[in-house]
Amino acid sequence: MKTYKLLLLLIGVSIMGCSDLEEDPVGRLSPDGFFQSPQDIQTAVNGAYTHAINEKFWGRKLSVALMLRSDMVDLASNETRRMEMNELTTLGNNGMISEFWPKTYQGIAAANQAIVGANDVAADEDIKNPIIAQARFIRAFYYFHLVRQFGDVPYLDQPATTADATIGKTAASQVYENIIADLEYAKEWLPDTQVTRSIPSKGAASSYLALVYLTMAGNNDTAMFQKAFDEASEVIMNEGLYGYDLDTDFQNLFNADVIDASPEPIFALDYNNFEAPNNAYDQIAPMTGIRGDDRNSGGGWSVAVPSFAVYDTWEALDYRRAVSMDDGASINGNLEFYTNFTASGHQFAKNRPYIAKYTRYPGPFARGNARATSHNYSMLRYAEVLLIAAEAAVEISNNTAALNYMNRVRTRARMGGTTLVAGVTTTVAPSAEPADLPMNYVVTAADVLEERRFELAFEGKRWYDIVRRELGTSVFGASGLEGAKADFSPTDYLMPLPADELDRNPNLLPQNPGY
Amino acid sequence: MQKTNPNKFLNISTFLGCMLFAMFSYAQTTVTGKVVDEQTEPLLGVTVLIKGSSSATTTDIDGNYTINVADAAAATIVYSYVGYATIEMPVNNQSVINVTLKEDLALLDQIVVVGYGGVKKSDITGSVSSVSSKELSAFPVLDAAQALQGRAAGVVVQSNNGGEPGAPISIQIRGNTSINASSSPLIVVDGFMGATMPQAADIESMEILKDASATAIYGSRGSNGVVLVTTKKGRNGKLVVEYNTNYSIQNTTNELDLLNADQFAAYQTQIRANNGNTTPYPQGTANTDWQDLIYTTGSTKTHQFSFSGGSDKINFYASANYFDQEGIVINSDFERITFLSNIDAQVSDKLKLGLNLFGSLGTKNGVSTQSTGSGGIGGGGDDVISLAMRYAPDQPVFNDDGTYNSGNTVGDLVDNPFAIATERVDETKEDNFRANFYGNYEIVKGLEFKTTVGLSSETNKRGTFSPSILEVTAGAVGGRAAITNARQRSFLNENYLTYKREIGKGNLTLLGGISYQKTTTEAFSASGNGFLSDSFSFYNLGNALTILPSSSSLSEVEIQSQFGRANFDWDDKYLLTATVRRDGASNFAKNEKYAIFPSAAIGWKISNEDFLKNVDAISNMKLRASYGVTGNPSISPYQSLSSYADLYAASNGQTVSAATPDQPANPDLKWESSYQTNIGLDVGLLKNRFILSLDYYNIDTKDIILANNGIPEYFGYLNDGILTNLGEVNNKGFELALTSRNISNENFSWTTNFNISFNKNKVVALINDADVFADGTPSYFSHDQSTILRVGEEVGLFWGYDYAGVYQGGALPAGTATLAGGVAGDPLFRDIDNSGDITEEDRTTIGNPNPDYTFGFTNNFSYKDFDLSIFFQGSQGGDIFNLTNVQLVNGDANTTVDNFNNAWTPSNTETNVPRVGNNSNREISSRFVEDGSYIRLKNVALGYNVPADFLTKLRLERLRLSVSAQNLLTITDYSGLDPEASYFGGGGVNNAKRNTIRGFDFGNYPTSRTVTFSLSATF
Repeated sequence: MKTYKLLLLLIGVSIMGCSDLEEDPVGRLSPDGFFQSPQDIQTAVNGAYTHAINEKFWGRKLSVALMLRSDMVDLASNETRRMEMNELTTLGNNGMISEFWPKTYQGIAAANQAIVGANDVAADEDIKNPIIAQARFIRAFYYFHLVRQFGDVPYLDQPATTADATIGKTAASQVYENIIADLEYAKEWLPDTQVTRSIPSKGAASSYLALVYLTMAGNNDTAMFQKAFDEASEVIMNEGLYGYDLDTDFQNLFNADVIDASPEPIFALDYNNFEAPNNAYDQIAPMTGIRGDDRNSGGGWSVAVPSFAVYDTWEALDYRRAVSMDDGASINGNLEFYTNFTASGHQFAKNRPYIAKYTRYPGPFARGNARATSHNYSMLRYAEVLLIAAEAAVEISNNTAALNYMNRVRTRARMGGTTLVAGVTTTVAPSAEPADLPMNYVVTAADVLEERRFELAFEGKRWYDIVRRELGTSVFGASGLEGAKADFSPTDYLMPLPADELDRNPNLLPQNPGY
Repeated sequence: MQKTNPNKFLNISTFLGCMLFAMFSYAQTTVTGKVVDEQTEPLLGVTVLIKGSSSATTTDIDGNYTINVADAAAATIVYSYVGYATIEMPVNNQSVINVTLKEDLALLDQIVVVGYGGVKKSDITGSVSSVSSKELSAFPVLDAAQALQGRAAGVVVQSNNGGEPGAPISIQIRGNTSINASSSPLIVVDGFMGATMPQAADIESMEILKDASATAIYGSRGSNGVVLVTTKKGRNGKLVVEYNTNYSIQNTTNELDLLNADQFAAYQTQIRANNGNTTPYPQGTANTDWQDLIYTTGSTKTHQFSFSGGSDKINFYASANYFDQEGIVINSDFERITFLSNIDAQVSDKLKLGLNLFGSLGTKNGVSTQSTGSGGIGGGGDDVISLAMRYAPDQPVFNDDGTYNSGNTVGDLVDNPFAIATERVDETKEDNFRANFYGNYEIVKGLEFKTTVGLSSETNKRGTFSPSILEVTAGAVGGRAAITNARQRSFLNENYLTYKREIGKGNLTLLGGISYQKTTTEAFSASGNGFLSDSFSFYNLGNALTILPSSSSLSEVEIQSQFGRANFDWDDKYLLTATVRRDGASNFAKNEKYAIFPSAAIGWKISNEDFLKNVDAISNMKLRASYGVTGNPSISPYQSLSSYADLYAASNGQTVSAATPDQPANPDLKWESSYQTNIGLDVGLLKNRFILSLDYYNIDTKDIILANNGIPEYFGYLNDGILTNLGEVNNKGFELALTSRNISNENFSWTTNFNISFNKNKVVALINDADVFADGTPSYFSHDQSTILRVGEEVGLFWGYDYAGVYQGGALPAGTATLAGGVAGDPLFRDIDNSGDITEEDRTTIGNPNPDYTFGFTNNFSYKDFDLSIFFQGSQGGDIFNLTNVQLVNGDANTTVDNFNNAWTPSNTETNVPRVGNNSNREISSRFVEDGSYIRLKNVALGYNVPADFLTKLRLERLRLSVSAQNLLTITDYSGLDPEASYFGGGGVNNAKRNTIRGFDFGNYPTSRTVTFSLSATF
């Protein structure tokens, strides 16, 4: 009998472990039942925000692409994908587009998830809607970039389903309508102020509306200029309520340590204070920095460097030039003027002044080459709102307003401040330049666009200005800052849709003209 | 239990009867003697039998036996021993008969372990290679898998990082049967699936199951082949105590001939001149040979101590093993202690119980090599091997103020390689424990039930620390430290019945069982930057000024299976094997939870047919054919579920939670399936003096999982590769294994083993049959495509520009062009799209990393007490992409003397090397593709067995001394450090299991040239 007992025991052992084989993904974010509380909506919105800081978006690929396409920043290195951007010979398989196109849509998908997921959350409208409003703001922010880059694009306003794999493009005009609807909603539900400028407020939605209208106006849609003027004026009228003002020291806008306290940013990206995984960090500083510069543990990578004319044609007494560009630096322990920046011996080093907005005060968390700064870059700041108002005012023949707003921006620029000159902290006294425009002066659109070029230099704005005002033929002509960009044609105002995306969904054809 | 056992009664009466019969009939003689092998080593456990009787005994540890012979004039004694040819000796009234048994190379009677049982070698229908313990322990290896290299046809073994102490070893059986999933075989140790490999010295035998007939019993885990490991067991008889020790001295096999400081200054000045900069390079004051500084003489020490023995009731084997290696790059080492114990108890006639225990503690101190060029340290600044070739030789190790020099004057800002090798801490501690219990019960004669219950635990902790004195790496942040910890627990229970019976001239064996395995992996990591003191290493993360986000994860996999096998042989001529396994796995997608894997095989022992029976020349001939389906589990846990990803995000200076859609659900995702045909022929000629085994196989792997980027990116999923079963790969191959006993006489013997494997793979289908690109270059090279998968081509071809020599100025040679702005001295490339300039459109396939064939060639000689073994191993026809040279000709690094001297100048135009500093931007082109064929003298060993008369004075049973050398000689045209290159690009070792990135060389830890002294003693 003993043996049978043993046998039973063995069979008993064999019954161990019968499973239904269903997976229980503990510790993983599962969409099922994710949206329970308003905080969960915020978590998805935070996802939508943080895609923008990624190296594939503002951290490098998009910001640098926009710089290189403009007339203000030239390419010092020689990578194909960057040359295609700089020389406007961009191909459908461009290695920068292939990164920022998906990243932009990832931001949109996160926002869509938040907006639709909010339906699952049982909470009062006045608690939920301000969070949904953030999601609609950031969705508009992303689509606004897309529509300016590509024109007609696929437009999704809820999480993708299989059926979306074959949709066609949505016309740019419709995309703009949707952007306006999102921003109107955001303006309605967002509070006047937020704890940080990296969360959009009512003023941010309003300011973006003004910029959207200005962009839609092109060169001659007076009705749109009027809308832009009205919206911008509303922001200016409410500057006290929204807490907006020009910073007294232009340098503060490009100082990671103090920017968060400045009244000027309207919407900013909040960078992690470390080198987060998956390239979720900033690399603009190294891309623009000087090779061999003794600052930032070895200076920068000397990739995006303005042509000499940018510096040369900029009024020397304009404090903004002193803040925006480095014409001297300490290299290998020696103070070098820009005429000898190649002292580092690096093949990409150039004997020209470099962009300084990103490299001077990268903050305490920046790593080697000033990577991964904690610099919360402004996507839109108050000076731009004033210049939107000024430009729109010109187009609706309100010269008084145009003069007023132009001079506000120029006044601040004259005030000087404390900055670094060749790596040495220097106080720059107020100067005479840029002088106020006289009261009898008739401001032109070209004046405002020039002012924008200086005020917003290297901030990713210039290319969009060139596109909306169709300045290409002049700024890329022989007398342009970078000399003739021989390959320019008006079809370059839109970039090519990613070629592989067209392969995946042929209903997105045709490709943009000229590609 | 009142019943008398009738068998017992019968036995006793038979015995008594025999005794009486013997006493009355003949005068009984006692015969004694000693049985030894050809090396005069005593053989333990040889069966000594009086022919035609049941009278038998076995030899003891000294090979001695004593047997009573009834008829000393007429009797014949039969000596048989597994693995040796059976001998018959007529007694002829002798009282002492000493016998030398010769190894039977065909080993036809040897029981070969196959899944869930054993089969006589002669009855095997599948393709199975066996590697003996002698081959496995020919020279000291950390991982027994290393010892497989070159030993078995169809098995390719490579270190993932050259000679790095503790580097992972990858095994590949019969080619790349997948694309992105692992091609590593399933390792089964004493029945435990997915076990850690034991020490080579503790392994009794290793079987490599290659075809579907052999592996289908392992179902969804079988398609990459299976390595079955059996550890040593105790034998009946006297206690055996054994001690083995090795001591090795190691050096790097190769260093590059780089420029010294003066040459370097000249080189850099010339680069400047070529770029229009007339200022000479400001030469530093030092002259540093960085390679000399980071390489050192390494050593390996091993000690293995074991004792084993047994009685009728209990057998045991226990061993302790110590392995200690100091690497040939400073500050890299590995130390491990391993224990193994096997107990088998015959509880009753019917019940056998056993327990295997295994435990090991390992510590690896790594030095940074194989830079991924990412991971927070830009410009490849985390790789001492490539940095030693790149760093300016005119810079000193230390600055005047005693700090480490980090002023590399060219290229990216990096710390110097000596500083990194000396200061960076990278410690991995790995603990492995495994226990496996079994019970085997004979229910009725022929029907046995076996159950096993096993568990294993593997804990891996890795700590890294870069102190703040590493200025570039960690200076700005005040030190960087991280700890990651992963623990994997596995539970396995298997139960199966085996039934054997004879049917007429046939034998039938049936096997059926169930299996359940659950594996749980828990991991967490924590890291921080900025420490009060560099002395904390990674043990005070709480002190970090910046606490970086921590992480933790859980992953569980359950597999439950039913399996069965039928073996039938008829008349010792015709063999049939059929197996089936049904696997259900939790990681399989919702609609595809279960899979069935069948196989069938036939064998025909032609030599047993009447028409061959009397052909003396042919001692054995068997034809085998099999077909079956096996799987590759290839789906990670939770991979088919929809998910969100969490992202790092900040708001107002605080870290906040953030989520984004990661991937949609994928309920139809399936495992990958391999459909394999195998045809084999085993031939033994001239009394098995020559043994030849031939195998041809064809493997169609279908449903290969590929990241389908066919889902539009505007869907916005973070994971842009939604997995789909759309790929197909074919592998065809031919394997030959030859063993020949060339000379065999009393004092001298010479045997040769040779194996060679040809494999040809082909991509059959991809998503929409569109090319798939991958990149094997460091991420700081800023390329995104350097390999291609293309339908109709082999897996992982190199992809880049086709180099066409140096541009001499003037008109471009027809069909070629330079990169934009090219001048005389710049590289010319084939202008494939005839556009007049070189753009990405001009890239093409430029090399094939897959070898045409690999081989191993061993010659063993023995003369009296000496033996000599010479083992060559090689690979023919695979290309290597020399990424090191890409970096060394880029201008922003040191370079080799050859590169500099041969570079194009206006006065040196007859050259194939472009001008220095030509800004070709680390181009990926065919000028860096080299033939990676090699023949390597893997091991040459001279052994001496101390003669018996001397041993008695030392009170030893056996003493063997040997000296051997590994990697003494390598014949290759490859210009880099080592043709056994294995670099995996920016994805690092995560890419190691993928088959798309093969044959790249960058920053590999060099393979070492080793001289080993060994001593082996038995007490």
